[in-house]
This record gives sequence, structure tokens and C-alpha cells, in this order.
Amino acid sequence: MLKRRPLVTGDKTYKDVTEDICELIERPPGIHFMGLFLSVQVLFIFYIVVLACIVTTGMGLMGVNSPVGWGTDIITFVFWIGIGHAGTLISAVLFLFRQKWRTSIARTAEAMTVFAVMTAGLFPVLHTGRPWLAYWLLPYPNQRGPLWVNFRSPLIWDVFAVSTYATVSIVFWYVGLIPDFATVRDRAKNKWRKKIYGALSLGWRGSARDWNHYEMVYMLLAGLSTPLVLSVHSIVSFDFAVAQLPGWHTTIFPPYFVAGAIFSGFAMVITLMCIVRHLVPKFKDYITLDHMEVMNKIIMTTGLIVGYAYGSEFFIAWYSGAPYEQYVFVNRAFGPYGWSYWIMVSCNVITPQIFWFKKFRRSIPVMFVASIFVNIGMWFERYVITVTSLHRDFLPSQWGMFDMTFFDFGALIGSFGMFLTLFLLYLRLVPAVSIAEVKPVLFVGKDKGGHH
Amino acid sequence: MDKTTNSNSKYWQSLEQWRNDPEFQSLVSSEFMSSPISEGANVTPEDGPARRSFLKLMGASMALTTFGCVRRPAQKIVPYVNRPQEVTPGIANYYASSFADGTEGFGTVVTTREGRPIKIEGNPSDPLNNGGMSARAHSHVLSLYDPDRATAPKKNLLNEKRTNKDTVSTSWAKVDKEILAALKKGGVAVLTGSQTSPSLNSLLGKFRSVFSAKHYIWDSSNYGHVIEGQKACYGTSVLPRLRIDRAQFILTIDTDILGTYLAPTSHTADFAVGRKKLNDDMNKLTSFESLMSLTGTNADERYVISAADQVPLALALVHEVVYGLGYGKGYDGLKSITSPHHSAMMGKVGEGIKQAAKDLVEYRGKSLVVAGGESTQGPNAKALQVAVNLLNSILGNDGRTVDYKYSHNNVMGTESHMKSLVRSMNAGEVKTLIIQGVNPVYSWSGDFRAATANVETVIYVGDRNDETGSIAHYLLTESHPLEAWGDLEITKGVFSVQQPTIRPLYDSRSFADTLVAWLNKSGSDFNYKNAHSYIKSYWAKNFTGASWSKVLQNGVYDTSSSERNVSFGGRSFNSSALSELKNLNKGSDLELVLYSTVGLRDGSMSNVSWLQEFPDPVTKICWDNYATVSMSFADKHKLHEGDIVSLTVGNKNLKVPVHVQPGQSSSVVGLALGYGRTLAGEVGNNVGVRALDLSDGHLSGIPVTLKKTGKKSELANVQGHHSMEGRQIVVDATLSDYQKNPEANIHRHKIITLWSKHKYTGRKWGLSVDLNACTGCGSCIIACQSENNTPTVGKKYILKGREMSWMRIDRYYVGDPESPAAVHMPVMCMHCDNAPCETVCPVAATVHSDEGTNDMIYNRCVGTRYCANNCPYKVRRFNWFSYTQVKSPLQMAMNPEVSVRSRGVMEKCTFCSHRIKEKDLEQKVAGESYKDGDILTACQQSCPAKALTFGDMNDPDSELSKAFAEKRTYQLLEELNNTPAVRYRTKIRNVAKLKKDKHQGGGH
Repeated sequence: MLKRRPLVTGDKTYKDVTEDICELIERPPGIHFMGLFLSVQVLFIFYIVVLACIVTTGMGLMGVNSPVGWGTDIITFVFWIGIGHAGTLISAVLFLFRQKWRTSIARTAEAMTVFAVMTAGLFPVLHTGRPWLAYWLLPYPNQRGPLWVNFRSPLIWDVFAVSTYATVSIVFWYVGLIPDFATVRDRAKNKWRKKIYGALSLGWRGSARDWNHYEMVYMLLAGLSTPLVLSVHSIVSFDFAVAQLPGWHTTIFPPYFVAGAIFSGFAMVITLMCIVRHLVPKFKDYITLDHMEVMNKIIMTTGLIVGYAYGSEFFIAWYSGAPYEQYVFVNRAFGPYGWSYWIMVSCNVITPQIFWFKKFRRSIPVMFVASIFVNIGMWFERYVITVTSLHRDFLPSQWGMFDMTFFDFGALIGSFGMFLTLFLLYLRLVPAVSIAEVKPVLFVGKDKGGHH
Repeated sequence: MDKTTNSNSKYWQSLEQWRNDPEFQSLVSSEFMSSPISEGANVTPEDGPARRSFLKLMGASMALTTFGCVRRPAQKIVPYVNRPQEVTPGIANYYASSFADGTEGFGTVVTTREGRPIKIEGNPSDPLNNGGMSARAHSHVLSLYDPDRATAPKKNLLNEKRTNKDTVSTSWAKVDKEILAALKKGGVAVLTGSQTSPSLNSLLGKFRSVFSAKHYIWDSSNYGHVIEGQKACYGTSVLPRLRIDRAQFILTIDTDILGTYLAPTSHTADFAVGRKKLNDDMNKLTSFESLMSLTGTNADERYVISAADQVPLALALVHEVVYGLGYGKGYDGLKSITSPHHSAMMGKVGEGIKQAAKDLVEYRGKSLVVAGGESTQGPNAKALQVAVNLLNSILGNDGRTVDYKYSHNNVMGTESHMKSLVRSMNAGEVKTLIIQGVNPVYSWSGDFRAATANVETVIYVGDRNDETGSIAHYLLTESHPLEAWGDLEITKGVFSVQQPTIRPLYDSRSFADTLVAWLNKSGSDFNYKNAHSYIKSYWAKNFTGASWSKVLQNGVYDTSSSERNVSFGGRSFNSSALSELKNLNKGSDLELVLYSTVGLRDGSMSNVSWLQEFPDPVTKICWDNYATVSMSFADKHKLHEGDIVSLTVGNKNLKVPVHVQPGQSSSVVGLALGYGRTLAGEVGNNVGVRALDLSDGHLSGIPVTLKKTGKKSELANVQGHHSMEGRQIVVDATLSDYQKNPEANIHRHKIITLWSKHKYTGRKWGLSVDLNACTGCGSCIIACQSENNTPTVGKKYILKGREMSWMRIDRYYVGDPESPAAVHMPVMCMHCDNAPCETVCPVAATVHSDEGTNDMIYNRCVGTRYCANNCPYKVRRFNWFSYTQVKSPLQMAMNPEVSVRSRGVMEKCTFCSHRIKEKDLEQKVAGESYKDGDILTACQQSCPAKALTFGDMNDPDSELSKAFAEKRTYQLLEELNNTPAVRYRTKIRNVAKLKKDKHQGGGH
């Protein structure tokens, strides 16, 4: 029988695990971390200023126009929502499939999901002309008639999909955190830390009853969030697919979007894990090269699916015989925005192919660069879908171009400030690897035996 | 209110209660213990607010104070203390009036609301324009509220160079005194544009005799060349009226009869008459052009010639008619003149000459050859007129399609007048110069500023301190035509009165008032209270048959309709004029041709943002002028759209961006007049360049050199692409194909749907667009803008694709880009039955009405813009910024019937739903019911060609239903099954064969 490779290296004991993981919360941050955090803060503040300008002055500050009514905001929204998918997939789907290797990355991947959804969630609100009225998209009893939302609109489905996803992800993440919060509480020497983590751990005592309930809830939540992995991005894709616009109006969008989401999500996990491994060298024992390799395999697989989707879109456009559809796809690859299409193809289809080689799958610098390329590619995928379809549709007289302004770039780049601020805060405030879940898999692949 | 009765209450609280005292009852009812049941059906006002309604009101006011007042700007409203007669708040008043836009006259109906004019419509009883309007005419209402108008008479303290550094306000009394003193010194000259007002003309006559003044008439776009040509050929100075309605074959040589030449609105109305005859009587338009004009885009056949070939072409046509087809007895002594041109031109446009000559002869007496306007005013301008007159005389068109009797008799401005004025100014003969109605410093090609150096007193009667104002000693603020009395006779025998619709906004006087004031004080026997009394007495004297109040009601007084509409014999052609045809200027390799645009023309209304943002009907560019070059010229010199080139004529030089224009001659460069003003106001200053800077005295055929500068600028083009890419967008068919099959060239789709259709039990609105009648003049665009308060956004945002106009006219080219055909397609909201916008709006801000319109609810809109993305016609407009804050007093031009839209909401064409509502309410009150034609949309009302028909689809007898029933009706993008309520009718071309798109893509 083939021997399993250990999931945690460095001959850790239970105590070591607790020490390693809690240390990050308990000791003051180093100069590296502070430097990174402050620069990310600056970016975040810049983001707030940019958004404030847009809200107070008008959407006109951005590059959107007629015919390109959606631009950077929607592109970046879909981008961040897509990023979120890896977290749920790792924590819920892999949990249900009893993939033990998920334990050490699940927490961070979930945190990434939560923050990505938070970052994403701002965009649809801010892209509206009157964001202060965006709550009208919620169906609630009101004094206006009552006037209800239009349930036929995919944007309403989107509101439900994203808010459900955000809620379930946060709850799932939080439930997983309860035993670990209790550990931090128990180790706390500082009064306030004890109080705060004590409150967060909801009176966890670690009794068999607690564990019994906990595992039951965790599994139920995993079951609940699994369909969300498929539904959220399917519904986000409806924002496009339900429209009449050639280039948007295709049935392939739901699976294509889901595959793309997982693809980009895993790429983002790789990027973040590389950063975490660099910032916290001790975590290299928990987030091992084996983990990274598995994720690279997933990136390669989903990359192939995405590549297939690109090809199939072209085939269907040709096969359909619809002239508008055909024009859009020819224009997509060879029109004025052809450059964005080829950036997308080279980043999303060609880049992941390097992971056929084991050497590259296990090389941190290679995968770091590749994962960033994939994320660039996935942003451009949404750019291609949104902009190239809109800019030339049915009536040639209304063809136009879309140019990003300072505020477009500000919103795009600034959103990373928000995401990374949250992520870095998370690293210092929350156990970044699940103590409770890593301990049971400590001896997997080792002769000492242990839990199965 | 329930009675508190003894039977119901077990215990009584007081003796009053026990006695059931009425006073006590009322006390109880107003007590805090009032019953919530008081909201029931028997509530009387005395009951006061019940608890629930009180709480409701309080809740609402809390909500209002916390939300409502934060963002909505608070504005005070003041009620009338004494309501003026005739004015009912909320109800519009309509006044018949008229006004002259240069050489074009309009009978108008002015809509006023609460005493301020907000819209100008064409007067349907105007016999010439047929109720149609031009884009410029609509814009006139905005020029009334121009913030840059001068507010009081001014005195300019001129420095030596007359670049006007200081201006002081003064009073009329003071100004009049000083000017009268100056007038009495003698040497008085008056420079005005064509005097189209008969009363003002007689007033000027009086002024001339009292002050022994000389009167010079000059127009910025003048027709002196036509008049001189007429005089040479027929002996009379006359500017004939083109009877396009009578012509079955029209041939234009570099003349934009439908866009800018003479009276384009009435030309368009007349042209549509023959266009709409879809039988063998349909008219045919052939254009020979060096530049692509609006007329050229409407031509059935169009041939490209160079500007230097204008006269040779006309002579080649003479040759072909006389010698080729053997028609025209008595004109056979011309061979020596015509034959060299014929042989030269046959090599260039032989096919066109043959075909045109054939048509001319076939429709002799019913054909019309036209040349004139800026683009023909080259060195050979007079020769061209002679050649064209010769053709018309040979063909017997004179007196039939060329109406020299009921002509534009008051349009008499000529260049020679201007030249003689300048001569006498330079000679020091002019001591006092009065300028009114023209802006010669800007719009004359010579140096007018220098000539005024010798004039002691220059008086400018104008509405602002513009280019001419700045060199004048006195600026006499002139009232806007909407503020002043006047009258109009542009076409002989068609009179109209101009009545003011608002008291002058500022301390201004009309020119007539000023003259009356001066004449009253001149010591002569002249004594009138003001211009109004003068005009009234003038009419009483001259039109004894007319009742003044009736004329005011009708707006138009037509004295010549019976004689005007019959043909008369031709005049005899004066053969001595033929000498003009010898020794023609040969032209040069590259010639500059100046032209005027439909929107700005001579630039007199440059400060009106509507016109600056009005896309040129041909190029679709706004906010700029540009050098147009042909495609092959651009390829040869490696020029791209927007490249800045330097145009040099002699030692004069201008830098302008290039526009690559399909269908233009490679030996000409076109440049629009009317741009490059420096003192027009905030909007019009420094937009484009002043084309006249390059004029060598001519407006066409100016030898020019063009050099690339390497710099680039962007041209604000509202249209993204100019080919239909082989899609079924505008359907056209030849007349013969149409006669064989009315559905010719329409590809109908078989549509299968799972859903049942919407049911419309009452009215169902629809709009039919006759692409065959539409010339693309664009008056509907400005009509819509004026009606619906749509904002202008400026060049910067047009470049970004942020134009706001609710309706647009798409213009596509078909065929070889060197000589393409063009089509125009008005596009507004299609009000689809299965509207793609409606399903995707998350907040149901755009919904379907039971009358089939797609309604936009502005205050529900949160601005996701999904509707705009999903609209295949791209007719939705988004408020990217707050566009409602306009500079005072421009807000007075707003139509209160149409709400202004706040930032962040979507807007679009409503089918003028406010007009539907207004009429419905009016008819409800009057107890009438809706009849077909009761409601006109703004675009429909403005269209001189009557290409738009609005009405009820459910009424089988409506004009609309008849239009929809025509076999040539089709839906735009029918295959999407949106079932639009706006449908189009095929464009029919009177040609043998259609031009086909050879290339796809291209020409961006």
C-alpha cells in the first residue's frame, strides 16, 4: 500500500500546533508586517476617497458611457465574487468529500471568501446612479404602495444569491472558529483579550457535547454551502446570460462562470498562501508544498475547463448562424479590444499549462507568478465579456469605445487595499490555521498512527 | 363619529353626558379619546384629524423632514398677487408669431407657460413650411434666455486698436441724445441684413429720408451671386423661389437645397411632396457635388465632381441636352463654348452627365437645376449662375419650377453693397455707421474692423458685445424677436406678424423701437408711440382687407396663394450673359471649399448649446469644424480622422483637425463656416476655427495647401460606425422593385413565441417613420430637446459617449466609400411590446403602460443601467452627472410639463406622454373623445417632410394604422421579437440599381 505523505511536517506535537498558530495573535507584529499593513492601509484610504468622489459627484467620473453601460465596477464585482469561490469549495465541498488535506488551508481560504465577497458586495451598490437608494433592491414591505422589486430581473436574483452567500460563508467561517477562539481565550494572559475571545467563543468548553453539536452544525453548514458554490456564480452569470445582448446571451455561462470562479479562487488562494508562508515561516509546516501542489492541479484542471468554454463559445457562435453573435466573437478576438482577449487567453489558458510539470507545481516563485497571471487573466475575462459585448452590438451607429479613467483604476486598485487590509487584520486577530482541524490530521502519513 | 349615547355607556361621567348635550358631544368628538373609527365613510371635515391619520401625517412629515429636505434643493415659490388675464397656472398659452432666421422665414406658434416662451412650433397655416421647423428655429427659444446677452445699452471706451477694453453701461435717454447729435452731422450709413420685415423696411425708408442716410444690405450667407446671375440672364434682380414641389427631376450642383440653401425647411417640405408619390410621378434628385452635403445624402444619384468642375459640368449638361439629345431649339450657337467642357467632363462623370441630361429632357418643364450657396461662390460663381439659368431656360423650367414672380423678394443682401460701404468708409464719407442684424467683423471675409477706423461713431444694434459690438462705440441692446413686435415677408405675398411673447428680459429695444425713438426726436413730422403702433398703422394702411386681430390669430396672411400656385411663362434669356462663360478660372490642384452647416450656418447662434451639440446631419460631428478630405486623399497623405493639419492660403494659415469624408472629391478640402467665434459667449467662444480667415474673397475654389502637423485631436462624433455591416437596419429598394413588390428587400422573420401577446384594449400608441420622406435634417432632434428638457453635455462628454438627446438620426453609408449612397434613420425609444429593458430593471422603474408605451419612472430609478445595456436600439440615456443646474436664466426655457431628471437616473423618449396626458385631461373636461391626429409628438410636429406619424394602432382608420398596413413597413431588428411600436417604412430610391456594400467594416 502506498504510504501517504504527511499533511503536517516538522514533527509537531499538539502543543507545538497550538503555540505555532496562536503565536501570531499573541505577539506584537514585526516590522515586515507593519510595513505591509501600512502600505495597504494607504491604498484602502485612497479607495475610500475615490469612492467618495464617485458617490458625491456621479458615475460620470468613471469610464462608463452609452453603449458600454457597465464597466470597471461590474467587472471587478464579478472578479471578486469569483475569487470567493475557492474558500467555500475548500471548506465545504472538500469537507464533505473527506479531503483531509484541506484542513490547514480551509480557514484562510474561507476568510478570503468572506473578504472577497465583502469587497465585491460594494461594487454593485456603488455602480448604481443613486447608491443611497440601492436598498430599493431589497424586497421589503414599504410605504410606497407597497412597491415590490421586479422579480424577473437577474439583478434581484443577484441580490439574493450574493447576500445568501455572504451570510452562509460568514456563519460557516465563524462556526469553524469557535473552538479556536476558545483556545485563544484559554491562553490569554491579558484581560481584554480574554473577554473578547471569550465572548467570541460563545462559552465553548470543549466538552463531548460541545464537540458533538459542533461537528453536526459544521457538517450541516457544509451541506448548505455546497450548492452555493454552484449557485452564486451561476446567478451572477445570469446578469449577463439573461440579457439580449450578443456575447452575453449564451447558455454556457453558468458552468463557465463557476469553473472560472473556482479557477480564479484557487489562484488567489495560492497568491495569499505564498504571502502567508513568507510572512509566517512557521506556517510552512502546515501549508506544505503538497498542499500547494494539489491546488495547482485544480488550477490546471479548471483552466482547461475555462479554455474549453472559450473554444465552445466560438464554435456555438459559428454554429448558431446568428450574425450578431458571430460578429461579436470575431470582434472580441480581432476587434479593437482584441488585446484584452489575448491577454485573457494567454493568462487563463496558456499559463496554467506549466503545471503539467511537477517541478513548476512545487516551485513557490513559479506558482506565485502564475497565480497572479491567472488572476489578471480572470479580471480580463470579465472585462472581455462586459466591454467587448457592449461596445458593438446590434446597431453599428451606436458602437462606441470604453476608456478607463483615473477613477476606474482607483476603484479597481483600491479594492485590493480593502481586501488586503481585512486579510492582514485577519492574520493577526484570528487563528489563521484551524487548530481544531489540524490536530486530528497531525499524524496522517506518519508511522505513529493516530486518528483516521 | 359615533354618538356617545346613554344606552351604550353604563356609567356617565357628567350630567352633560347623561343629558346627551350636543355641546358635550362635540367636545367628546374632539377629545383625545376620539374613536379610530372616525376614518370611516361618514367623516366630516369638522372631525379633524383622527388619531391614525394624525400618526400617519406625523410619520410622513418625519420621513419628509429627515429624507426629503436633505437632497432636494429648496426653492421659494411665490403665488400671483394679481393673476394676469389669460394666464392660468399650469396651462400653456399659444401665440402665433413668426421670425426670420437669416434668409429663411417661419410662421410660428409660440408656446408660453406662465408668461414665458418655452417652445417654438411651426405654424401649420404657414403655406411654405407646412408647419415644419428647422433645428435652428427651435433653438431660437434658447437664445432668448442666453445668459451672455447684454442687459442694458453700453458705451464702449475704445482704445486705439479698437480691441475694446472698457465698457460702461448707460441709459437710453443719454444714448439717444448723443446719437441724435451724431446723426445730425450727416454722413449716416446703415448696414443691415436683408430687410425681411416690410414695416421695418418702410421705417428705414423714413429714417433714410429724415437723416439722409444710405442703406447697405448685406447678409452673412448672401445670395448676391444668384441675384446677379438672374440680372445678367434675365435683366431683373430677383432671387427666385425654387418650386421643388413642382419638380419631378431636381439636379443640384454643389448646392445643399435641403440643408442650408435659401429656405431649406420649405424645400424639404416641398421635396417630400414628390418623394411620397410612390409611383411613376415620384421625383428624382441628382446631385453633382464636391463635398458631401445633406442634399447629396438624399440624392437618388450622386456624382462626385471637383469644385473647379462646377461650371464645366453645367456646360457639359447643356451640350448633352442640346447636341446629345437634340433638345432646345434656338440655343444651338453654343457649341464652341460647351463642347470642350463636354469632352473634358465626359471623361470624369460621363455616365452621370448622360443620365442627368436624359432625365432633364424627359422631365423638361418639370425639372429644376440649382446651383448656389457658399460652396459655389468661387471665382466662377457668376458663370455658374448663367450656365444654370441657361439650362433652366432651355428646358423650359423658368416660370414653372423657377418662380421669379413670387420670389424671395426681400432677400437682397449682396457682397457689392458691403464693398461699396467699405469703400465709402475708407474714403471717410461715413461719419455715423449703424449696424444691425449682421456681425460683419466676424462674418465678412474682408477686414471690417480696419474700415471702421475712419468712422466717427459706430453704433451696433445687437444683443451682445460680440465681434462687431466690440468695435462699436455704442452697443444698443436689441430685443430678441420673441420680445419684440415685427412682421415678415420673405416670399412675396406671404406675410406674417411677429408678436412678442414676453416682456423684454433686459433693458433692450427692438431696432424698430430704436428707429421710432430717433425719428420722434428728429424734428420731423414723425410721431408714433412705439414700434407696435407703427406696425399696426403700417398694416392698417397697406392691408386694408386684413383684420389686425385676425392676422394675429392666424399668424400668417397670405395674399398671393391664388397667383403663386400657377405656372407662368419663361423669361427670355439674354444671350449677352453667355460672355460670362468664357475665360473661366481653371482652378488648382487642391481647392478649399467653405460650406455652412445645418446647425450653425453663419455662426450667428453660436452661443446656443443645442446647436453646438447638434450633430451635423452628414458627418454626425458636433462642437467643432474640421477639414473634410476624401478617403483616397487621406490615404495618399497618410491622414487619419482627427489629425491636425495646417491649411495655408497665401500667407494665411489655420490649423484644423481632419475628417475623412466618404463621397468627397479628392481635389477639395471642405471647411465649415460659423465656427471660431471669439465673442459669442461662454458656449460659442473658440469652438473650431474661423474659416473666413482663409478666404481670398471667395468662399469656394480657394487654392490651398495642406500639411500634416503631426498633432492630433479628437472629433466629437455621436455615431460610432458608419456602415450597416450588411444588417437589415435601413431597408431601401428601387422604385421599380417596389412597384413590383411593395415588400421588396425586406427580410421578414418567422417568429415563434411561447407567450401570449400583451392585450391592449384601449388605445395603443405607435409611431411610423417614413424613411423615404426623412431627409435627416435633424429638426426633430432639437424639437425633442426643447420639448423634453434634455441637457447638453459638451464636447468632452460627447467624446466619452455621454450624449443625452432622446432621439437621434443614424446615418449610414452604403457602397464604395469614394462615392457612397447614404441613408438617414431617426431612432427614438421603440416602445417595444416585449421591452427588453422592462424585464431587467430590478426596481421596476421602467414599466409598460396599458396604452403600449414603455414608461420611465424617474424617481424609482436607482440607475443600474441594465436597461440601457439590454436595449438593442441603445436609446436610453443616463444622467451621469447632475445636468439640471443650468446658468440663469436658461432654466426659463424648461418645459414645466416634463420633469427634469436628477443625477443617476435613466431617461429616454416617452412618446411625449405629457402631451397625451394634457390632451386627455383637456378632452375629459370638455367631454370630448380622442380623435386621430389630436396628439402630435414633438418630433412629428416639427418634421417639415411629415415623415413621422404618431397615433393609435388599435384604431383601424388612423393614419398610423394605414401607415403600418403598408407593405413596406418593417420593424427594426424584428428577429429579436421585441415588437417595437416604432416601425419604419422602406426608403425608395428612384434609380435603376441600388448601391451595395462591397466592403464590410472599415470607415470607423
